[in-house]
Amino acid sequence: MQKGFVAYNNEQKSLEAETEGIKNSQTLIQKAMNWFSARSMFVVAYGTGCGAIEMPPVFTSRYDIERLGVVGVATPRQADIMIVSGYCSLKTLRRVIRTYEQMSEPKYVIALGSCTINGGMYWDSYNTIKKLEEYIGVDMYVAGCMPRPEALIEGFVKLQESIRNNTIQPGYVKYREDYAYYQANQEKLLGKETQPVYEEDYAGMNLS
Amino acid sequence: MKNLQKTYEVTQKVERLFEVTVTQTDFWEAVLYISTQTEFNTLSQIACADWIEEEHFLLTYILTTDARDKNLMLKLTLGREYESMPSVMTLFPQAEVMERDLHEMYGIGFEGNETLYDFVLEQWHDLPPLRREFDTLAFVHEHFAFKGGREDNKDVKVEQKRRREEAKKQKALEAAKQEAKKQETEKQETEKPKEPNTHATDAEETQDKKPDTKEAEDGQ
Amino acid sequence: MDSKLIKIFHGPQHPGITGNMSVELDLLGETIKYARTHVGYLHRGFEKLVERRTVIQAFTIVCRICVPEPDPNEENFARAVEGLAGIEISERAKYIRVMVQEMSRLAAQMLWMGGQSGSIGMGTVGQWSLFDRDLMLDLFEELTGGRVYHMYTYPGGVRRDLPEGFLLRLSELLDYLEKKLPKYDSIFFDNATFKKRAIGTGVVPKEEALKNGYVGQTLRGCGIRRDLRKDNPYLVYDKLDFDIPVFDGGDVYSRALVRRGEMRESIKILRQVIAQMPAEGAIMQKLPKHRKFTLPKEDIYVATESARGEFGYYMAGDGTEHIRRMQVKGPSLIHGFTLLEKMLIDEELSNVAMIMNSLGICPPEIER
Repeated sequence: MQKGFVAYNNEQKSLEAETEGIKNSQTLIQKAMNWFSARSMFVVAYGTGCGAIEMPPVFTSRYDIERLGVVGVATPRQADIMIVSGYCSLKTLRRVIRTYEQMSEPKYVIALGSCTINGGMYWDSYNTIKKLEEYIGVDMYVAGCMPRPEALIEGFVKLQESIRNNTIQPGYVKYREDYAYYQANQEKLLGKETQPVYEEDYAGMNLS
Repeated sequence: MKNLQKTYEVTQKVERLFEVTVTQTDFWEAVLYISTQTEFNTLSQIACADWIEEEHFLLTYILTTDARDKNLMLKLTLGREYESMPSVMTLFPQAEVMERDLHEMYGIGFEGNETLYDFVLEQWHDLPPLRREFDTLAFVHEHFAFKGGREDNKDVKVEQKRRREEAKKQKALEAAKQEAKKQETEKQETEKPKEPNTHATDAEETQDKKPDTKEAEDGQ
Repeated sequence: MDSKLIKIFHGPQHPGITGNMSVELDLLGETIKYARTHVGYLHRGFEKLVERRTVIQAFTIVCRICVPEPDPNEENFARAVEGLAGIEISERAKYIRVMVQEMSRLAAQMLWMGGQSGSIGMGTVGQWSLFDRDLMLDLFEELTGGRVYHMYTYPGGVRRDLPEGFLLRLSELLDYLEKKLPKYDSIFFDNATFKKRAIGTGVVPKEEALKNGYVGQTLRGCGIRRDLRKDNPYLVYDKLDFDIPVFDGGDVYSRALVRRGEMRESIKILRQVIAQMPAEGAIMQKLPKHRKFTLPKEDIYVATESARGEFGYYMAGDGTEHIRRMQVKGPSLIHGFTLLEKMLIDEELSNVAMIMNSLGICPPEIER
């Protein structure tokens, strides 16, 4: 987390140079807020896919991400970060959107695994979404199938850096401003009911 | 086992795996008899394979013994047009969830099973997905968009052929160039007697060659 | 008294659920009156994807069917293809496969121990056991190149030979684990809190266990000695000497003790494998027409004892390069529906996570 922990590559530097203007325009309070939110990240406990198997090692003694200020928390209302760990099936996507909308701002999303980026191994599956960023705002992608715990930690560190330096436009701002775009995508895929419907009446589903 | 062999024709597939084939009409009688009179009294899986060319489903009830040392495949064929089967829930309670699964994935009905509602899919309005006529790739292209960068993901064999031909062309070009150069140098050599200047020409030659070889590598 | 039921959903977004699934509960106060399992949050349609791929392409995705222990899936897939194509694998490959199975079993039990202790609020055990599991994963990484998904057990053998000195490092790890296991006894299995919560909770009735097709620790926890490694031996399990631990309480505690015994047995098996493994021999039997490998038009059923019970695969070939049908039946399918829905009735709400962990319910294998 300290300087030198992550070696910036040239790409990252050029990205920062582009957003130099944003960085300098923030007020003192904004700076302080960003510093605080980068130092305390509460991750909502929702293992959406198979990437969830690498979360216990990350949160326990071997990799111990708590040293970076990242802690698990049970409810979305107290959480800052959601890790979408791998493929999202259509049924899960409804819950993910609901969880995401319940989280209070500032909130960030880390998408874990190749399948959130472009379908990955399940690119021809009828039940998994291919691009997560079409449906909710995503801040950080960690590629791999499955990504190692070190990769996940690096994703966290990069996210913290960018929050602290205010170098990226957070996904939740995009989600709020372009809500119509996201909603159109959600409705195109999931129909009008983008939130889960729990109903007892399953009549009419019987094909025989 | 003896009881079973008396009434049905049993074939052994591999070690500890047997097979009995029945028709759809005497299925219920067979499963009742096997589960009560023989040692194969537990259901471990209901498998279904879609043989679309032969226009039927092949249903396989995999039964196992109390000692869990032998398996029996009880097979029957079923028409593909959303036909229904008697449910075996009363004999094996665990069949409930398996039948629910098959109903959703193939559209097979099970008479007597009350819980044939959504299992793993939610608000699904398309064909049952495991039927062979359901095209998952078409469904994907209809409902999802891919990120850019997949355009070069062409048919591998076509692409390989194209690249090989390109490389061949490059090689031919290169060979022609070298030939021309050789002739030039030969001319020069014939014109001029040997001088210490040859080192410089060598260096020039290699410099000229390098970009060519690079291009060829890219082509491959 | 006018009593009203409250409906709550235990999951999918819940720290006490074993994966991405959900249990719908009707509560009267704290007592559960009605329970129903909902799955489908992890459905990827593996069986459809496998039909679209060739045999060798399909091999790379089958391990993703069950996340905590992918190796029984690879083993099943490989054995089904070998059975259909009539391939006999070498003795050395068989021993390596047994080794992989037992390593995976040990790792899965370690992960279970973390989940089971976490479900009753004992955080320390998880910190220990996940660390020890990681040591096993390091060995897996050295052997196969992957921490979680290995893609190692290949139809016809295994994908590559053991690295130099691997067995030595494995036996060092076994020494370490053997020393560590008594410490787990004192912190977890003999812990008064755990005993008080677990004894008498989540009892599986013995009389229906065999008839309803329960498998694994659920059977062995209520005093029935069934294990596919003994009953229907595959690979070289019939040449190895090991016991099947059985306890007859039928409750969460008995199942925990069964798993504890299995960890010791796995270490015992691994030691025998290290001693008996032939030094020479082909590790892979080459598939006929490797790139255009076809399966005959037949079907087969194979089963493997995973860390949570019987994993069964039905596979049918159709004379082409593709598999016509591969149907997976994991141990959780019956446990998660037939058993769990019945068992949760009249239980306390606070015991749901503990019972689900104890049954080892893993949703990705229910819905594939």
